[in-house]
Amino acid sequence: VEFTKVAADPSIVNLGQGLPDISPPSYVKEALAKVAAVDRLNQYTRGFGHPSLVKALSQVYEKACGRKIDPLTDILVTVGAYGSLFSTIQALIEEGDEVIIIEPFYDSYEPMVKMAGAKPVFIPLRCKNYGNSASSADWVLDPAELANKFNSKTKAIILNTPHNPIGKVFTREELQVIADLCIKHDTLCISDEVYEWLVYKGNKHIKIATLPGMWERTVTIGSAGKTYSVTGWKLGWSIGPEYLIKHLQVVHQNTLYTCPTPLQEALAQAFWIDYKRMDDPDCYFHSLSRELESKRDRMAQLLKEAGLKPVIPDGGYFMIVDVSTLNVDLSDVDEKQPYDYKFVKWMIASKKLSAIPLSAFCGPETKKQFEKYIRFCFIKKDSTLDAAEVILKNWNKQTG
Amino acid sequence: IKASNSLSFSLQAKMSRPVRARRLEGIDKNIWVEFVKLAATYSKVNLGQGFPNFPAPDFLTEAFTRALSGGNHMLHQYTRAFGHPPLVKVLAQFFEKLLGRDLDPMTNVMVTVGAYQALFCCFQALVDEGDEVIIIEPFFDCYEPMVKMAGGTPVFVPLRPNPPKDGKLMSSADWQLDPAELASKFSKQTKAIVLNSPNNPLGKVFSHGELGLIAELCVKHDVLCISDEVYEWLVYDGKQHIRIASLQGMWDRTVIVGSAGKTFSATGWKVGWVVGPDRLLQHLRTVHQNSVYHCATIAQEAVAQGFQRELMLYGKPESYFVQLPKELQQKRDWLVQSLDSVGMKPIVPEGTYFLVADISQFKSDVPDVPNSDEPYDYRFAKWMVKNKGLAAIPLSAFYSEAHKKNYTNFIRLCFAKEEATLKAANDILQKWKQEKTSS
Repeated sequence: VEFTKVAADPSIVNLGQGLPDISPPSYVKEALAKVAAVDRLNQYTRGFGHPSLVKALSQVYEKACGRKIDPLTDILVTVGAYGSLFSTIQALIEEGDEVIIIEPFYDSYEPMVKMAGAKPVFIPLRCKNYGNSASSADWVLDPAELANKFNSKTKAIILNTPHNPIGKVFTREELQVIADLCIKHDTLCISDEVYEWLVYKGNKHIKIATLPGMWERTVTIGSAGKTYSVTGWKLGWSIGPEYLIKHLQVVHQNTLYTCPTPLQEALAQAFWIDYKRMDDPDCYFHSLSRELESKRDRMAQLLKEAGLKPVIPDGGYFMIVDVSTLNVDLSDVDEKQPYDYKFVKWMIASKKLSAIPLSAFCGPETKKQFEKYIRFCFIKKDSTLDAAEVILKNWNKQTG
Repeated sequence: IKASNSLSFSLQAKMSRPVRARRLEGIDKNIWVEFVKLAATYSKVNLGQGFPNFPAPDFLTEAFTRALSGGNHMLHQYTRAFGHPPLVKVLAQFFEKLLGRDLDPMTNVMVTVGAYQALFCCFQALVDEGDEVIIIEPFFDCYEPMVKMAGGTPVFVPLRPNPPKDGKLMSSADWQLDPAELASKFSKQTKAIVLNSPNNPLGKVFSHGELGLIAELCVKHDVLCISDEVYEWLVYDGKQHIRIASLQGMWDRTVIVGSAGKTFSATGWKVGWVVGPDRLLQHLRTVHQNSVYHCATIAQEAVAQGFQRELMLYGKPESYFVQLPKELQQKRDWLVQSLDSVGMKPIVPEGTYFLVADISQFKSDVPDVPNSDEPYDYRFAKWMVKNKGLAAIPLSAFYSEAHKKNYTNFIRLCFAKEEATLKAANDILQKWKQEKTSS
């Protein structure tokens, strides 16, 4: 919430907050334009998810998971993936529980776990190559360190793959390590997979719920906003076994009851279009990641030319950048803030370019480890990236 | 579970540790899940769940389509978390007029996913373990589980029927709080009272005197007021909806809850709001940013335009807020007459689009089952939808567990329906009555 205010200034090139400024596909916009004309779509629909939407989701995810998914019992439609995270945590986590969170983490996990009365237990991704990172794949969990975080109080681990902010796409082997520990300690896995379709060449998104023994202990979360570049539709979903999803449904019926009907109907229609061509390269799930890959590469190039060190993401639409190489001296700024906060504020003020400081995504112990990184979002239209290019090319021409 | 066990068995196993969080205890039942399914399966005429079956007004759906065709594709992206700027601005303007005080759109207004989520934010933000919350019965059913989920204790106080002595039909105004009984419910633990006026399900519009009584007690005991005013525009017979927040000493301790779904007959848009002092709303914002964070942009944009139109037409005959209650009053009168003519005694509502009817004269069709775990009116309503195709909601759904048995002869009907629907309902009722008379 803090940084969105600062970046609302139109003279600033906003690569901070994760929202696309590209247009959603036209058939998605058209689907929504048509629905308002249908009277009954302006009234309440089924609380746990509009029938045509949960049907479409079950088809898409049956294909993706390779198992039967019941649209009425195994799926809950929520207000964004955010709402799914909230429903899952409120349904299954309580006082006395511990929840493992991998750092850096999407910032809402920590307050949500705390709001449920539980204790967050952090474990950082660590850079393999002595701090010299060129790729998101360099960032890994130490298996022994991870195993140490599990105990009898560990109710859940929150997994985010593809990962925000680093862009890491967890490999099958990495997921197996996590799965083994979940099974051994009878722990839940809350798998935030909102960027599931955004994986770049040479990488594959693997659903931890498809690993042996994991379906029965995993809630997988998805997002229309990220799938279709419509973050303002605020529709997400939780998918999992009935005996877990039913508790999320109880939370839902006691918090907001139902999600907007017209948006769910339009989303269902979009899903049917792409479901039919899921194996086709034209499917938006695949075409978007191709589009973003070239933006990723362009962004990385510009950052390198400006003397910054980007960490090339294997997935997602964020890129973290090591800014320490610039040696910008901010010691005179006497706030007790971490370096990256100060850097971003300085960058917004003097370069008119915004990003998000990485320590915003860390627990208190790890802030020092990550304070030389900032996060850029590259799901931006060409003119935005052009404006960023101008700034980055002129970076070293200005002082301070 | 060791991997050395039979692999396929252990790997299919559910988690053996208990998974459900304790906060969900006792709140898993929900009347709507059951009755909406029944209506969908059996009903020919659905007067059950509260939503209009006539279209939302053209100016609203046109605003939605216009916003989409405008070429501003950023309407498909996140807007301000606490409320889309054009919407909070016009809500502030509107409520400034209605409350007679200055409002800051950024701090005195917040947009939510329906009034339902507004209520959730109120309880989560303001109610703690050990707090008592007074709920007036009959009540919109979600108040009780929401109080419990927040760790609070609901304390119930009933509206009591005082039937008119002249044999006329009862009005929702005849259901009243006993002042001494109400006062006795306030204790040191009382954190808040939930007020719903106009009241769902009865349709009662609390009078100035009645609100004054509640306000006095709130001030005396330093208690908050969560004021659910979603039906604020649906008042009949020239009555006035009075906002308790405008009474002496109340602004600073009241959160007003409102709904675009009810205001603009578009329940499926799920846009609601809270209006109140910053010192209370700041806590609702915290809950909101940790639960849903943002509400859908496009619906907020269209609702903002709807309000802008109403602001210009305020008080004029073309105002939707003037036309809708006029239309609904006619429908109310029609349904009242229809029910009365067959012997189902309606309680004439002063507001909302619900009315409650006494079905005592039809009980012979659905024999009582002693020691049944289900209240009589639940069984009656279920029988009625399955056998007569008419869906309604049993009144005891709006009572606490302890008091359900006190009011088992009533059903709630929604009259926000097209003429054809109300006619069809009448046909069912007339036929039913004929069958009873001839048998």
